[in-house]
Formats: sequence, structure tokens, C-alpha cells
Amino acid sequence: MRLTSVLSVPFAMVGRRTLDIATEMGGMTLMAGAILRRLFPPRVDGAELMRNLYNVGVKSFPIILVTGVFVGAIMVIQAGLYVEKYEATGFIGWGAGFATLREVSPIMIALMFNGRVGAKNTAEIGTMKVTEQVDALRTLAIDPVSYLIMPRFIAMVVMMTLLVVVGDATALIGGAFTSQFLLGVDVQLFFRSFVDLIHLEDFLLGVYKAITFGIAVGVVSCHFGITVTGGAVGVGRAVNDSVVASAIWIFVLNYVVTTLII
Amino acid sequence: MSAASKQVTHVEVPRDGVRIRCQGVSKYYRRTAVLDAVDLEVRDGTMLGLIGPGAAGKSLLVKIICGLVAPDEGHVFIDDIDVTRLRERELQALRMRLGMVFQNYALFDFMNVGENIALPLRMEGRSSETSIRNRVAEVLEQVALPGIQDKMPRELSGGMKKRVSFVRAVVRRPPIVIYDDPTGGLDPVTSAKIFRLLSDMKAQGTTSITISHDLDGIRPLCDQWLLIEHGKTLFSGDTSAIDQCETPYVRQFWRGEPA
Repeated sequence: MRLTSVLSVPFAMVGRRTLDIATEMGGMTLMAGAILRRLFPPRVDGAELMRNLYNVGVKSFPIILVTGVFVGAIMVIQAGLYVEKYEATGFIGWGAGFATLREVSPIMIALMFNGRVGAKNTAEIGTMKVTEQVDALRTLAIDPVSYLIMPRFIAMVVMMTLLVVVGDATALIGGAFTSQFLLGVDVQLFFRSFVDLIHLEDFLLGVYKAITFGIAVGVVSCHFGITVTGGAVGVGRAVNDSVVASAIWIFVLNYVVTTLII
Repeated sequence: MSAASKQVTHVEVPRDGVRIRCQGVSKYYRRTAVLDAVDLEVRDGTMLGLIGPGAAGKSLLVKIICGLVAPDEGHVFIDDIDVTRLRERELQALRMRLGMVFQNYALFDFMNVGENIALPLRMEGRSSETSIRNRVAEVLEQVALPGIQDKMPRELSGGMKKRVSFVRAVVRRPPIVIYDDPTGGLDPVTSAKIFRLLSDMKAQGTTSITISHDLDGIRPLCDQWLLIEHGKTLFSGDTSAIDQCETPYVRQFWRGEPA
């Protein structure tokens, strides 16, 4: 192999990867545009929406409850080290609640949601694509975006938001009981400092984040699903790409929303 | 409603009687022609047999006809409307007059049989739930599968899936139906049932294209034939012409003679 061609290999790899990323970004933008066009006026199948609200939301409840309880517990354990050191046990509810509502709960629940709902969504749509079910919809004069994507997208945004609210509540309960049993701080004292010092904006920041995370997971998982090629291997690859891309979007959007609102 | 949209929703058989016309349809993958300037015409109420060896481009051609894949060159006309120039929403309106039976069934695996068949009727929004349920029961009866509405596709045999896929495609009574290998992988008894359904559809005046490797089964049904190999047309004509064709490959394929 000639020296010039050997030297060009890394550049070719970087170029190919850059093109791949640009293609996916373009695809996600197109998907977001297609969804937006069908939102005004809304073109959604009611039965499909209800089915997806159940699958996305109700079935995610147990995993979100467990995540929430342990998020709250961990926050109290971490805050407890300093609270005990500085004898500021009266602030444990505020400390744990502040970090939980604004940052940890939305992020952790979004990542769990991405792993459970986003991955499943990409796999389902991808499998439908490779088994020609999406083509079958089109031949039946049914728009796959209106019928398949819109109910899933709306269900993901709505349920992501509700699940973060539920996650917040269970995290606080988990945190309160952990502070009672590990630090000996009364549950009432925990909630008093929480109520006195936490503002509505702290809770709403988490809710705004949940909405943007829901949009991100919805758009990304649907895009990777509907663009699958290459059979079962292609579906596996798409699920992997979807989970990674959504996770990156969750962190990027967390930074953007935090910066914009603070 | 745009002029194009009005045109696609207004169904009228063209004056020359040709309901499906392909002109110089080509498709390339990585600069290799997988379809090379294919022409075909299907007249109203007739059935065209689309035959050829595996990977000849038959399924791709019917997907192009349905507007699922865009050709790189050429035009496809359905009832004189150029499919290749329509936007997705206009294509959707045009597809109301099309039905397609897929090679691998393509049944929606998250729906039961009844929901699969009812979906096109529900989306059309013209029928009440009662009449949809009655119509589903009626078509399942016609294909000798009564009472399986509540079964999921995974609970069905290959032959049952084919028949469910068939009724889903024709439940709206489209005037044009495309069958992609309707008897592939089926036993002779089930194949005979499917061919009877195709024959019934033809008797009702449906215009159709049938891809099949079972030449004995479709020979009595088809009026016109198109034989393609590696995306190129090797033969196009009626049954008597293909019977008399002296091109060695066509003769060999038509008569099922070994190479």
C-alpha cells in the first residue's frame, strides 16, 4: 500500500463518521418536522394513542418507582455526610429535594425511560420496517407517521413528564425514610425544610426538562426505527444507536434548559 | 384540494383500458441496474403474470408501481396518473384504489386478525363499527377462516397468514390488486385455495399483477406475461405468444425444463 493512501485512512474515517453524524442529524430534523406538521391540526389515531399511553406510561410505573426511591435515598446519603459534619440536619430535606427535583430525578428517570421505552420503540418500529409492515400501512393508504409515530411521540412526551413528577414524589419519600433510618432525622423535619425552602420553580425546572427529554427520546427513537435497513442486525444496530443518541441529547438538553432557566 | 389531489381521488378507467403502465422503469443500486428500462401494460380486468428467477427485480418493480420505491428513470401510470410525480399525500389517495398482498404477509403483529382486516376500513372512516365487524366476518368466511378474528398473527400457520393478508388487501374492494408471491412456501392444497381466491377476484373484474414461481398455478389465470431476469425484460406478451416463444431461456423457464 502506498504511503499516501495509508496516511489518508484516518482522514477518510473521520470524514465518513462526520457524514454519518450529519446524516443522522438531518434525519432527526426531518422526523421532528414531520411530527410538527401533523400536530397542527393534530392527526392522531385515538385508539393507538391510548394503547401507547398505557404501554409507555403505566407499564413504566414500577421501574420508575424503584428508580425514584433509590435516587432519593442516595441523595440523602450523600448530603448526610456534610449535614452531620456541620450539624445542619434541618437542611437535609432542602438539600436532597433541591438536587432531586432540579437535576437528579429528571436525568435518572429520563435515562431509565430511554432504556425501557426508547429502545423498545426503536425495536418495534424497526421490526415493522424490515418485515414490510410499514410498507403495508402505506399500501393501505395509511400515513405511517400519523398512525405509528404520532401516538408514540405524544405518549412519550406526556408520560415522561408524568413519570418525572411521580419519580420526584417517590424520591422524596425514599429520601425522607432514609434520613429517618440512617441519619435519625425525623420525617416531619425533612419535609418541613423541604416545604420551607424549595420553590415552585425548582419543581417546574424538572418538569420543563422532562418535556424536552420526552421530545428528544420520542424523535430520536422514532427516527432510528423508521430508517432501519438490513434485517435483524440492522434493528439491533438501530436500537443501540438510538439509546446512545437519546442519552447524549438528554445531557445536552439538560445543560441547555438549566442554562436558559437559571 | 389541489388539481393533482382531485385527479387521484377521481376514479375512472382510462379510455384505452390500460390501468397500469410502466415506461422505461429503471432502478440502480451502486451504479448497477437492478431494473433496466422495464415496460409493461395491464388492461382493465386482466391479470399479468410477473415471472422470473429469484432476485430478478420482480418485487422491486411492484413496489415501484405502488409508489413505495421511487424509480431512478422512467414513469409509472395508474389510471393515467403518473405515480412518480405524486407527493406522499397524493399517493395515499391513489392507493385507495390499490391492494397489495406481501410476500412475507406483513400482518401487523400487535393487532389481532380482526383488527388487521378492519384497519383499512376504520381509517377510511366511512363505515360504522357494526358494518366493519360484519364485513370482517364476511371476508374471513369467504377465505374459509371463520371466527379467527381474535387470534394474533403469531398463532396462525403460513397459509392462514397468506389468506388473512389477502383479505386485508381486498377488504376495501380495490379495483387493482398486486399479489407478491401469494403461494410462496405453501403446501399444494393451500396454494390451490389461494389460486381460487385469485380466480374469484379476477371474475369480479379486478385488474391485477401476480408474482409467482408456481407457473402451473397461475398459468390458467394470467392473460399477459412479463418475464424478467437481472432487471431486464426477456419476454412480454400474452399466453399464446409465450407458448410459442422460441427464445431458449424463455422456453426453458416457461416449461420448467432443467438447464
